[in-house]
Amino acid sequence: MRTLVLTAALALTTALPAAADTIRVGMSGGYFPFTFTRADTLQGFEVDFLNAIAEETGDEVEFVTMSFSGLIGALESNRIDTIANQITITPEREAAFAFTQPYVYDGAQIVTREGNEAGIAGPESLDGKTVAVNLGSNFEQLLRELPNADAIDIRTYESNIEQDTALGRVDAFVMDRVSSAQVIAQSPLPLELAGEPFSEIRNALPFRNDEAGQALRDRVDTAITTLKENGTLAEISQKWLDADVTQPVSQ
Amino acid sequence: MRPLDTAYMWDLVPVIASYVPLTLFMAIVAMAAALTLGSALAIVRVLRVPVLDRIVAVFISFFRGTPLLVQLFLFYFGLPQVVPAMTGIDGVTAAIIGLTLHFSAYMAESIRGAILGVDRSQWEAAQSIGMTQGQLLRRIILPQAARTAAPTLMNYFIDMIKSTSLAFTLGVTEMMGAAQKEAAGSFLYLEAFLVVALFYWVIVETLSVGQRRLESSLGKAVAR
Repeated sequence: MRTLVLTAALALTTALPAAADTIRVGMSGGYFPFTFTRADTLQGFEVDFLNAIAEETGDEVEFVTMSFSGLIGALESNRIDTIANQITITPEREAAFAFTQPYVYDGAQIVTREGNEAGIAGPESLDGKTVAVNLGSNFEQLLRELPNADAIDIRTYESNIEQDTALGRVDAFVMDRVSSAQVIAQSPLPLELAGEPFSEIRNALPFRNDEAGQALRDRVDTAITTLKENGTLAEISQKWLDADVTQPVSQ
Repeated sequence: MRPLDTAYMWDLVPVIASYVPLTLFMAIVAMAAALTLGSALAIVRVLRVPVLDRIVAVFISFFRGTPLLVQLFLFYFGLPQVVPAMTGIDGVTAAIIGLTLHFSAYMAESIRGAILGVDRSQWEAAQSIGMTQGQLLRRIILPQAARTAAPTLMNYFIDMIKSTSLAFTLGVTEMMGAAQKEAAGSFLYLEAFLVVALFYWVIVETLSVGQRRLESSLGKAVAR
């Protein structure tokens, strides 16, 4: 009998965390200026954004940092409730997860080493070039969907693509335009933007696509609407990116 | 070439140092568990216990034949999809279990080798004075095998300490995870990774001193 009660209690606690007052937010902690640490303090756009959401909904936020490649698995196995790591909405991800409205609108950007010796001007000039992307990111897929994808040597990295591009090990990396510009402005790495952004991307928070996940998504989505209307989201964007990236680019 | 930012490195020392206890905790608990499990597996193999022997052989083959990272992902992200209750296992526990299973497979083979290295006459002598199998293993064979196996087992312990850095993929911020996140905020990769490398090195070197002490005490009986 006692084990039965224990099992039931265990089943209950593992089934209900999404409805609890603590939102477990997964992030890599390695994506400047969205999530990173300085002197062991986790900070960035995503941290401020999720704290602002929690203030609206009255929930607590628990940040869980792990390697980027572990985030989706952690969400699916109910170890976290959402991922705040500039997750881009894609058809595949939309089929698997319940997304909030987009809170960042951005474009895919090619970045090369300073001097751009390879003369890269856009995705069409990537033929025969080695291009680094983060493992599991949608930029890898964006590249693979290009008409000249077969001619591009795409390298997937767990982390540190900026460093390997600066070292010249790869010709370029592809990341979102906003954080690319930030990396160039704030880091000592010799990098530069190559060409214009080539694809609009919309980033949102994914939740598990079950009843509890959808309920939490609805609650968070309402909070995002409020944060957009009262200007808090734009403020957070200005603080970390010196630009408001929370409105659609193309009208 | 830019100069090394030593001031930044000094700032990082207390940050990384605060994660040393977690790294050591995971390694020490996993080492104790792996030693116990590895010894049991080795004895099953040496005594050729029917049925169990085959199961242990498959266990060792799997955990030696697949990367630790694959095992950790299987255990932490894969199995909970079919056994939802496994979600209750946190990252630290999962890392310890993963390290234990993985390294026990390696240790079992080392310990088995060390047991087989004990001269056959020792077994016969122990049996001739009426010792049971348990007694002769515990009193005669294992103490001698421990001396032979000690350096290899220490190697596995060192490997284990360094393998705890994989725990960051399971959401456990340990020394390496902390260094990664700091590097993301400062872009001073060389400094951040250099500091964490030095930490691992110092820990392992400290252990090596302990290893020399342990080996000399295990070797007392045969010292000339």
